[in-house]
Amino acid sequence: MRFYHLYSLFFLLLFTVPALAQNFQVRGSVRDANNGEPLIGATVAVPEIGLGTSTNEEGFYTLSLPEGEYTLQASYIGYSSFSRSTRVTGGAQQRINFTLDPAETELKEVQIEANSLRQKLNDTRMSVESLSSREAKLLPALFGEVDLVKTLQLKPGVQSGGEGTSGMYVRGGGPDQNLVLVDDAVIYNPSHLFGFFSVFNPDAVKSVDLYKGGFPAQYGGRLSSVLDVKLNEGNNERIGATGGIGLIASRLTVDGPIVKDKVNFIVSARRTYVDVFTRQINRLSEGKPDYDPIPDYYFYDLNGKLTYKVGKNDELTLSGYLGRDIFGFNDDRFKFDFNWGNTMGTLRWRHKFNNSLYATTSLYTTGYRYSINNAIDVFSAKLTSAVQDYTFKTDFDLFVKGGHSIKFGAMATRHHFTIGRLNFETGDSTQSISTGTNLAGTEFGVYASDDYQVSAQLSLNYGLRFSGFNSGGKTYTALEPRAAAKYNLSESTSLKASFASMKQYVHLVSNSGASLPTDIWYPSTEGVEPQRSQQVAVGFNKLFGRGKYMFTNEVYYKWMTNQLDFRDGANLFVNDNLQDEFLFGIGKSYGNEIYLEKIKGKTTGWLGYTLSWTYRKFDSENDLDDINEGRWFPTRYDRRHDISLVVLHQLNKRLSVTGAFVFGTGNAYSIPVARFVFQDVEGEDPSVIPIYEDRNSFRLAPYHRLDLSAVLKLKPKRGESDLTFSVYNVYNRRNPYFVYFEQVRDEERRETLGFQAKQVALFPLVPSITYNFRFK
Amino acid sequence: MKLKHTLFFLLPFIAAFYGCDMDKDISIDLPSYNPQLVVEGYLEPGKPFRIAVQESASYFDAPTPPLVPDAEVVITHNGRRIDLTYKPRLDNRTGFLYTHSSEEIMNGKPGDIYGLEVTDGKGRKVTGFTTILPSVPIDTVEWRFNDEDEALLLTSFQDDANTENYYRYMTHRDSLTHDSDREFFSSDKLNNGNVITFGSNYRYERGSNLIVTLFNIEKQYYDFLSSSDNAKDSNGNPFAQPSRIRSSVQGGLGIFTNLAYVRKTIVIK
Repeated sequence: MRFYHLYSLFFLLLFTVPALAQNFQVRGSVRDANNGEPLIGATVAVPEIGLGTSTNEEGFYTLSLPEGEYTLQASYIGYSSFSRSTRVTGGAQQRINFTLDPAETELKEVQIEANSLRQKLNDTRMSVESLSSREAKLLPALFGEVDLVKTLQLKPGVQSGGEGTSGMYVRGGGPDQNLVLVDDAVIYNPSHLFGFFSVFNPDAVKSVDLYKGGFPAQYGGRLSSVLDVKLNEGNNERIGATGGIGLIASRLTVDGPIVKDKVNFIVSARRTYVDVFTRQINRLSEGKPDYDPIPDYYFYDLNGKLTYKVGKNDELTLSGYLGRDIFGFNDDRFKFDFNWGNTMGTLRWRHKFNNSLYATTSLYTTGYRYSINNAIDVFSAKLTSAVQDYTFKTDFDLFVKGGHSIKFGAMATRHHFTIGRLNFETGDSTQSISTGTNLAGTEFGVYASDDYQVSAQLSLNYGLRFSGFNSGGKTYTALEPRAAAKYNLSESTSLKASFASMKQYVHLVSNSGASLPTDIWYPSTEGVEPQRSQQVAVGFNKLFGRGKYMFTNEVYYKWMTNQLDFRDGANLFVNDNLQDEFLFGIGKSYGNEIYLEKIKGKTTGWLGYTLSWTYRKFDSENDLDDINEGRWFPTRYDRRHDISLVVLHQLNKRLSVTGAFVFGTGNAYSIPVARFVFQDVEGEDPSVIPIYEDRNSFRLAPYHRLDLSAVLKLKPKRGESDLTFSVYNVYNRRNPYFVYFEQVRDEERRETLGFQAKQVALFPLVPSITYNFRFK
Repeated sequence: MKLKHTLFFLLPFIAAFYGCDMDKDISIDLPSYNPQLVVEGYLEPGKPFRIAVQESASYFDAPTPPLVPDAEVVITHNGRRIDLTYKPRLDNRTGFLYTHSSEEIMNGKPGDIYGLEVTDGKGRKVTGFTTILPSVPIDTVEWRFNDEDEALLLTSFQDDANTENYYRYMTHRDSLTHDSDREFFSSDKLNNGNVITFGSNYRYERGSNLIVTLFNIEKQYYDFLSSSDNAKDSNGNPFAQPSRIRSSVQGGLGIFTNLAYVRKTIVIK
């Protein structure tokens, strides 16, 4: 029955092909004039009739236009736009290629062309946030570390997990429900240091698209969002270097051609160096009584990409990522080493069959692993969990007359999971413990979709994904229909709607609500059914102020089944029967996202407001395991109001200033309502045991913060450079990170005098300075 | 992971803000709370029956635990009902404040089952059971020195392969009148039937006088201890989920169990 639906979709696609409208095709590419790199997501618009499209991964576009005279405008963030007039006739297919120059002003990053607003208005897709590294670099950053994910958190519908963290909670989904793709490969844990920094080195990233809903059929495997990160390909004209020296980290990127116009490379590295200082402090304090040495901590990222243009129609790309967090403590008594990170490698082949058909085929492997090594005297213990994927993926883009842009493809992934592998032994082998579970699973997906421009006003994007997962003899399959529609009410107004059904076959085992390095991934099995979500969204877009401003309002409703949580006191680390600790429930999230943006002129920026509700419910067969006694409860990141205001202003050619203000309802939080005294047995002091009742029924105080930054362009003899000053939390607000209850004690009399609620904040005002350079 | 452990990981970054006052007192209005009976009782062969009955309280109420004078406590064993009298007393040796007691000495053998019933004037009723366990002998207590003349301590014993066992282990310096130097509890899930060794890091000097105690505990006691620890951790750990107390009694909160332990005193030399 399910296969029937899939075939009927293909049939539908084929059937629609001959249904020709009186439209003719114009196609071509948009490239960077300096280095010839394709510009992904560049806009090609036809202002006369309010039509537009964006370029695909190869920088190609296709437009379907009725006969007539038109102006085609190509634009891309940070580049000067380019217009060309053309006459569309019923004769031979027309090709119009554009090469765009990076904007010529000193602060070209501010130069964001308004045409992308028109493209947004006319795009069938909705609920998408796009970002370039250049935009992110202008915004204030904690410790001066530019972070693309934290910039995305300033967009409506995207929330952070907590102060300073780079975890994303998209439309009520958890951080494990984000499909994070780097050059098509999945990254399992996209953060460093408890989520305070994301793994994306801004110099290595070309573009980022975040889908919050209306997911195109080529994406699958996670419920709540798709974060599609494309890495830079490197300059194919000349060798260059880009980098920065910051307060806590430095970064360096080198790129250029190996064989001009044939083979080019890019290598990026970033490393924190707080450990250099803490080691020095430890050395100076050595021997001091009562001095506890500060443990070593650092993280690094390495990105590399090699692009080989084999011929006119073929391109091979080899890209890789390696990131590690290293935490270590080592003295005469105790050795502790904790490291975690992702490793990814992709080999990709792009092939152009003809002007209408392109294929991208990839083989990639990706993995996440953490390892804790502990040694004392002859005893040593090692705890490891890991996930390792091997994926084959092929995607086709087919442009068909009549305004059809068809995508179809397939993927298969073999997952290997190492879950809580503990090895404990003594040097003399008198004792040894070895425990842990190895699981495997195969995931696959087949999809087809059509972006169909029905008329100048109406466009549709409909598709179907058939996905499945097999593990331990149990197979799950699902049909995931996707649909989106756009209708232009006028030249400046459009209405949009979308529906997406998603399935998730791998689950994150973590009850922390934060992105911890000790994350364990677990497959769907006989007893663990896949997660499912369905989302509907409708939107309204209005362009005004002569195309300088755009107002967007989107309303969404998402419901989720087979959501995962854990029994109270679950042992998630060393447990060979981990799935016995799981609880399954349902979830729902709904809200309204309002977005007003201005991207032209000396002052640009946006104002976002989200009103939303997010709930979960875990009502199991065994009442003792129910969370919140089986009633609905708000998730920790349920945020009723969320406001972000970002203003970028170019004061003069050398100086730009940026301000970002955020306000959010306080996180939902569980606090103990009562307590009792546990006296315990002889030899143990009495303690106070907190009693928790309703889950997340308390609200932390609202969160608000203002950040400012200034970018000053320097005038070096060679290349370009700037100084970025950034102040995080300008008015030094003590935003609540968490709340706890403390005993007020008279230690001399060993007496408890009372209890006091305490609120802990994490970051006060944090100034930082970063020096950035670029040599080409 | 407790707060201090979390902060330990963040130390390199937090060091930058050392001196900034990042926490402050706040006031919170708690919802109204209906107090529950809380019982605590440890039966021990050769010792009289002693039970503490108190009430849980709203978090910001006065710190003294509310006693329940009208509570009636009965221990049941083999069809016998032993009434305990309300007479709050502090056992000066153990520091245990009990409210109900009997002069009768408990002399149960491993496998014997004892019941507890607590009722009060508000119609509340708490019940529980405990099965007397045998103690588990400690095979060896040994220590090893490092180059700096600091010793670690290793306590080994044989686990019974035929039963599911739970242990509580403590070491004290000099006496039992103060909190333990080291305490934890564990199941035998990972090493059933093997020799189990509990160790410490290098923390003892020559001449240290140590008291080592190994309890063989019931699963319900282990569950209560671990859930209490989780609840304590949740109060102050931003990454923890709140945890419910898994009491060994029904109708209220608390623990009713028996103590089966072996204690050894050693001097590090």
